[in-house]
Amino acid sequence: LHWIALQPLLDVAGPGPVGPLPAGAVGAEAWADALTALGWWALQFTPKVARVGNALLLEVSASERLWGGAGPLLRHIFEVNKPLAVAGYARGATSLIALARLQASGLARSAPDALPLRALAAAQPHLGTLEKIGCHCWGQLRALPRGGVARRFGAPLLAALDRAYGLQPELYPWLVLPEVFEASQELTAQVETAPALLFGARRLFQQLQLWLQLRQRAVRAIELSWTMDARRDTVQRGALVVHSAEPSADLAHLQRLLAEQLARLTLPAPVLYLHLRTLETPPHAGETASLLPDEQRQGERLPQLLERLSARLGSAQVRQLQPGADHRPEQRQHWQPVVNAMQMRAEGALLTGVTGQNHSNDATLCPTWLLAVPRKLAVRGQRPLYPGPLTLLAGPQRIESGWWGGAECVLRDYFLARSETAGLLWIYRERLGAAANPQGADLAWYLHGVFA
Amino acid sequence: MSASLPLLASIGAGAVWRATALSASPGAVLASGHVLLDQMLPGGGWPVGAAVEILQAPGVHAEWRLLLPALRCAAPGAVVLVGPPHVPFGPALAAQGLALQSLLWVAAATPAECGWASEQALRCADVVAVLAWLPQMRPEQLRRLHLVAQSHRKLLFVMRPAQAQQESSPAVLRLLLANAAPGQGDALVVQLLKRRGPPLLQLLQLPARPARLGALLALSEPAASGHRHSGGAIALDRLAATA
Repeated sequence: LHWIALQPLLDVAGPGPVGPLPAGAVGAEAWADALTALGWWALQFTPKVARVGNALLLEVSASERLWGGAGPLLRHIFEVNKPLAVAGYARGATSLIALARLQASGLARSAPDALPLRALAAAQPHLGTLEKIGCHCWGQLRALPRGGVARRFGAPLLAALDRAYGLQPELYPWLVLPEVFEASQELTAQVETAPALLFGARRLFQQLQLWLQLRQRAVRAIELSWTMDARRDTVQRGALVVHSAEPSADLAHLQRLLAEQLARLTLPAPVLYLHLRTLETPPHAGETASLLPDEQRQGERLPQLLERLSARLGSAQVRQLQPGADHRPEQRQHWQPVVNAMQMRAEGALLTGVTGQNHSNDATLCPTWLLAVPRKLAVRGQRPLYPGPLTLLAGPQRIESGWWGGAECVLRDYFLARSETAGLLWIYRERLGAAANPQGADLAWYLHGVFA
Repeated sequence: MSASLPLLASIGAGAVWRATALSASPGAVLASGHVLLDQMLPGGGWPVGAAVEILQAPGVHAEWRLLLPALRCAAPGAVVLVGPPHVPFGPALAAQGLALQSLLWVAAATPAECGWASEQALRCADVVAVLAWLPQMRPEQLRRLHLVAQSHRKLLFVMRPAQAQQESSPAVLRLLLANAAPGQGDALVVQLLKRRGPPLLQLLQLPARPARLGALLALSEPAASGHRHSGGAIALDRLAATA
């Protein structure tokens, strides 16, 4: 008994398990999606899976030993989480016997000779004639002389009968996983809110997970698109693309990123169909795990954390430092969005902080906090106040730079100053102001940093 | 007392902590880098896997002076700043030994987002320490962060305003930072508000400045009464000459 026939359980009425699926019939798309999903799932048990009509055929002679025999294999097939409920299953020595037994539960244990002729696809056109000559089951047809049967009903019926009894080899177009994952699903109920789409797409994600596992790929970018109710006068399609810096075979991270983006989305109309497509799937080498308990760190990796933080808070809110070669304090460092930095590093375009390290010596005399915008200080007499009068400890340290940049031009004298409440501060005086007022009456003082 | 002795013996001496002694911290610790402070902390350093609350009066910023020596010695991994009050100045931090590649700045708009980002950072395997500025945090949220830090064994420092010392806190260690009083030099004054051990009444004075800056300050402080500008200028020039 090396053939297993499976039939998915669907709400949509479909044609019988025998005979081809008529194209364009009601529910034909739903059946095709369901059979594809179930077929991919079945590929983990045997590489030989074929779709016949609206049933699936699994040839398990080669993989039975791997799973520990026919019994354990069947148990696996029934216990492993399936993408769809299975309406029926049947086993048989040949595919046609398994298919015929799938028709009715009463036939599960009947001998091939006792199977009804209406369960044989090739006999469908001749059922009327066969009934009239008193031929109801396979055994009766087989007992008829072959020459007469061939002349009267044609060679295909005889060939089908030979295949059913295992006298001829059975060849099917085996199911092959496509190069690019692309799957659709009709939602069982209309979805009105965007976050609920993720729940509706979980079957598609299971399918993608299976595809990745079977093709040994990791995924870097996916696109979830949806078709909305055409009766509303709005756009009918919407899509969301999610990228990750590091390819991963685990979809949990991409699903979380997708959830963050969906949470900020409003749907103009109810969604009826979902489509999932992979954009980038590099080969997956697998991960090397350590046997030592110390090295098994729990938790997600840093790039995943950064992408998740960026997805919720906005990419500009998660920053990484990029040193700059300049004398102006605000130009000596650039806090740039970490997602950009990761992409640049992936492309090998990022200078790894060389410049900042070289000048690190003179930065000891710089403050650890920098004010994003220098704060203008009040002046009493000639002493700056913050909030009480400041005591100048050291300086001036003159910084003149950026004359080429127009407004970015910096002419400043920096001082170390002590405030009675706020501690050690970094303040500067605009030198242009001093030049404009020779009396020094109106010197502009600014607070630029705090030695925290 | 005599009745409790057999009980103590049955539990085992190590499992009982007497309130008069510093508790031997059950978890790992990271030396703070300040010798004086290490002697006063249970276990001899910052507790790894517990919330440490650092309180500062408004306008006072001394967190880097306190934490940089420890962060410099921490295991390689990311240091995440959540909601810092100003722009961290990378060159100065690098000059004091912090690896800039590992520094991450998360700017969140609302207190809820700050709390969420801190928790997510604590859960990440590659993060070694989280420095969170959470002025408006309720004790139960802080407790949640403390538990996450505990289960993932991360350094967690929470910076809060000084008014928060009236509230109860789940942090195992609470410190109040202040600058030295005017005319008292440049030391960092630390008051241990809460620790696993007897209360510490005296203030700790930590001379926590990088060597070059400390030398410059030592040169310029006596001159503060007289010719301020010229004294400072000489000091700067002299330092530049030695560099």
